[in-house]
Amino acid sequence: MKRLRLDRFSGQLLVARPGQCPASTPRSALRSSAVSRCTAVRHQSSQAAYQIPQDDDYYDGTDHVRFPPLEKLPPRATSLPSPPPERALQSAKLAALKARLSLPEKLPLQTLARALVDASADENAQFNNTSLAFVGQSLINYHVAEWLMCRYPRLPMEILYAAMKGYAGPTSLHQVARSWGVEHAAAPGGEVDPGLLQFSLHKPAKAIIGFGSKRAEAHGMKKYKWRHSVSNRVVFDDDFGEVIDPEAHKTELLARADTEYGNEYTRSLAEQAYATCARAVVGALYAHAGREPAKAFVKAHILSRTLDLSRLFSFKKPTRELSMLCAREDFEPPVARLLSETGRLSRTPVFVVGIFSGADKLGEAAAPSLEHARAKASMNALKSWYLYSPGENVRVPSDVLGAEDDRPWEPAYIDMGEIVGR
Amino acid sequence: MEAIVTRPAVSCCRRAVAAPGTAAPSRLLLLTTSTALPSGTRQKSTSARTRRALNIPPHPSFLDLPTTGAGKPAADGTTPARPTTDQIIFNPPSSAPSVLHTPFKFLPKSDPRRRANLASSLLAASTTLQYPSNPPTEASAAAAAAVDALPVVNPAMPTPRHHLSMADIEEMRALRAADPATHSVQALSKRFQCSKLFVLMCCQAPQEHRDKIAAEADKVKARWGPRRRQAREERGRRFEMLYRGEL
Repeated sequence: MKRLRLDRFSGQLLVARPGQCPASTPRSALRSSAVSRCTAVRHQSSQAAYQIPQDDDYYDGTDHVRFPPLEKLPPRATSLPSPPPERALQSAKLAALKARLSLPEKLPLQTLARALVDASADENAQFNNTSLAFVGQSLINYHVAEWLMCRYPRLPMEILYAAMKGYAGPTSLHQVARSWGVEHAAAPGGEVDPGLLQFSLHKPAKAIIGFGSKRAEAHGMKKYKWRHSVSNRVVFDDDFGEVIDPEAHKTELLARADTEYGNEYTRSLAEQAYATCARAVVGALYAHAGREPAKAFVKAHILSRTLDLSRLFSFKKPTRELSMLCAREDFEPPVARLLSETGRLSRTPVFVVGIFSGADKLGEAAAPSLEHARAKASMNALKSWYLYSPGENVRVPSDVLGAEDDRPWEPAYIDMGEIVGR
Repeated sequence: MEAIVTRPAVSCCRRAVAAPGTAAPSRLLLLTTSTALPSGTRQKSTSARTRRALNIPPHPSFLDLPTTGAGKPAADGTTPARPTTDQIIFNPPSSAPSVLHTPFKFLPKSDPRRRANLASSLLAASTTLQYPSNPPTEASAAAAAAVDALPVVNPAMPTPRHHLSMADIEEMRALRAADPATHSVQALSKRFQCSKLFVLMCCQAPQEHRDKIAAEADKVKARWGPRRRQAREERGRRFEMLYRGEL
């Protein structure tokens, strides 16, 4: 067995454990030489030597000689929960983000920096992005909702909620913010670059849970499974029809706080922080540049995303729903007819079934059994009813507010309502 | 079939079928193809024969490529077996019509597409809009006749006649309550000339009868083996997947 030759190990390993390091080995001098090299650089620079804050109250044990700060920080910067606003002007990351998003000059960098500070990082509402995010989520949800209602006027309420969540929900806004190139700091603090998204995993109880109206009976709804109808959700709950239950969130957070990094929980916290940041950017844009740029921004970054609405549907009794639709609309009752088939007696038959109302074909589907094909064709017919669209470039009410479009407003198509109660 | 029709004995059968006649020749053909195969016909009895039989040339659409592609004779007169250039062969299967194409009947009255329904070019171009409901023309009548000729998958329920009065319904309820075993749902539907669904809508059997029926069903289910049980469960799960749009 060979002897371990400590002197051939890299110096880093030895320095990392100075107590274990044998003083007699020639490499043990590395540490002092590193220090001397570092200080020499300092002395040769044109700037004055950096004054290390000697405040004992806030000293966090950092070896400032070995790890000098990258830029000159204002006094007590490390003691602040988030970077001071004046540092926003020096951040290259922030300027790059602003340029990437083509944000107008009217939006100052300080506000953009504030949009990157989550409430879990800085509790002070004057420095975090809560207020901006509230404005932003109202705008985003308004634009998404009006576009969906004008573009797909027959969507059932549940599908509308799901589509709203698909466009403007936390998961998709998180992806939007990531696609902007927003990066997050490992931990928030005054010394962090203001161009980084800052949120805390250790005190997430201050983070925003959601925006909406809380129900007084939320506890009973969970305990006794009280009914929670769709029309009820229009008034209460959040914009995606989901119950906001802060107590449940809080207990969950307390139970899982300070776990190790990289688990499902920390990922969900990061997702929330990113979504809040994306909303806050829209809110900041509205506050400084006005309605039209904010609308264009929402259209470019959120409504431009692709969501296949036909995959959001699920049915309970499609054939019955379709007969109810035909009865309501005074169409002839639907009849399933076999359009073509192959291999009826084989292992893999294919039946193509069409649903006809009178002479009109409403839907068509192919499936390996007659029952499946009939159900699938009914579902397709119902989907083509629900996904009726007046056109691709349908006008929405907020178009009338724009200065460039002065045509008179024609009322949008309003459907009479859902076929079956859910 | 190829092998069969080349044989002289069967070719005379084919001639017999081709001649206008009664049902007898067709029965003869059936016999020939299914049971009475000649003993000399080569079957796919070995793996080598199966491989040879399955070794079919590619579809002409894959070979028929423009200019220097495959399928066209090259300079020396030979036909390359596969494309020689980097080309994307796009040969999509026929697919179901998109649900985003609204059928003509589903368009609201205010829609410009309905108002312009005389623009038959639009209707002809679309796969789903082939059967305009109005105005009724000769073409639409022909289309309706064509639709009526298609076989119906499930026979439509007869239109309700509304012939039962309140007294009849009361009588039905009394009968069902008095002796649910004799006056079953089917018996009542026959007696009152209505559907079984209507009987179920009108009256409900007493609790003990329902319990008895459920117990009988459970006894039958208890005798099922694992295969039948699993098959039924999977059938239910497949329908759930279908309704969620996953199949």
